[in-house]
Amino acid sequence: MEGNIEVLQGAIALVGYGLAAVGPGVGIGIVVGNAITAMARQPEMQNTVRTTMFLGIAFTEALALIGFVLFFIA
Amino acid sequence: MDTVILAAEECDVANEVICAPSNVNLLFELPKWFDIGPFEFTRTSFLMFLAAAIVVGILWAGLRKPKLVPGKMQLFVETLVGFVRDGIARDIIGPEGAKYAPYLFSIFIFILVGNLFEVTPLVTFPITSRMAIPAFLAVVTYIIFVFVGFKKNGFHYLLDIAWPKSVPVALRPLVGLIELVSVFILRPLTLAVRLFANLVAGHLMLALLLGSGVTFVLAVGDVGAKAGIGLVWFIVGMGIYLFEIVVAILQAYIFTLLSAVYIQSSVHPEH
Repeated sequence: MEGNIEVLQGAIALVGYGLAAVGPGVGIGIVVGNAITAMARQPEMQNTVRTTMFLGIAFTEALALIGFVLFFIA
Repeated sequence: MDTVILAAEECDVANEVICAPSNVNLLFELPKWFDIGPFEFTRTSFLMFLAAAIVVGILWAGLRKPKLVPGKMQLFVETLVGFVRDGIARDIIGPEGAKYAPYLFSIFIFILVGNLFEVTPLVTFPITSRMAIPAFLAVVTYIIFVFVGFKKNGFHYLLDIAWPKSVPVALRPLVGLIELVSVFILRPLTLAVRLFANLVAGHLMLALLLGSGVTFVLAVGDVGAKAGIGLVWFIVGMGIYLFEIVVAILQAYIFTLLSAVYIQSSVHPEH
């Protein structure tokens, strides 16, 4: 067991996924938060804001998902 | 189906807290049924054709005899078509977006049916969790937006991306390089991976939680009170199940939306 890096491989992949999820987590929070502010200020723009919000979420989320896929590949 | 796989793995209910298969690929690589030429025909292939048949069936049932006062089925199909044509194609691409509405509607409804297989009892396998299907759909979108870009703008399409005029001259090589990589490599890649990874994550969670729940509860005779953990897994699994219905619909919407955005960026590259 000593000096055997193999046993750590799964754990390292988990940490990598965790790190990959931090940024997008904060990012999605900012996107949705600002979208809610925008909707509250201008309810008539709701549809446009919602579409743009989903776009923003989709772009941000991609980073976390790549981390998730790498977790399984590793 | 997944419970069968988990049970076949001989889950050690006395020592484990959750039944995980030794290899998660077992949940996605289904055994082949028979060969057609060089291709293996698996349950996934069957579900793919089933999804196509369901799509054709819904559209045929709804629009076979269109009436001035629509019936229930026609109303449903018309609402879906209207949502994609007006809510996605025209809103994002602009007036000429109606031209792309048939393609967008086709991928939307196919992905929607494929995703909803995840939460359909007796099927419980999202075909979009096999990379081949999202990858193929992303490649089709990729071909369309690159083709439209060259057709509408000629060689300037490539030039405007590689040498963006709206950026100071000193930064243009750097921004151009980033744009080139982002448009021609990252766009199709993330488009496919987003759909694929969402559905893989969902299927994995549902299979592990619901499968473990059933396995533990069924083993109540062997492990006694410890079988109660199965109830917890099952309740959490049902919560995730509801969430996955939302994810399935949202991911079909996002794939279509992003396809429309990419096509739009080729139709009007200056924005």
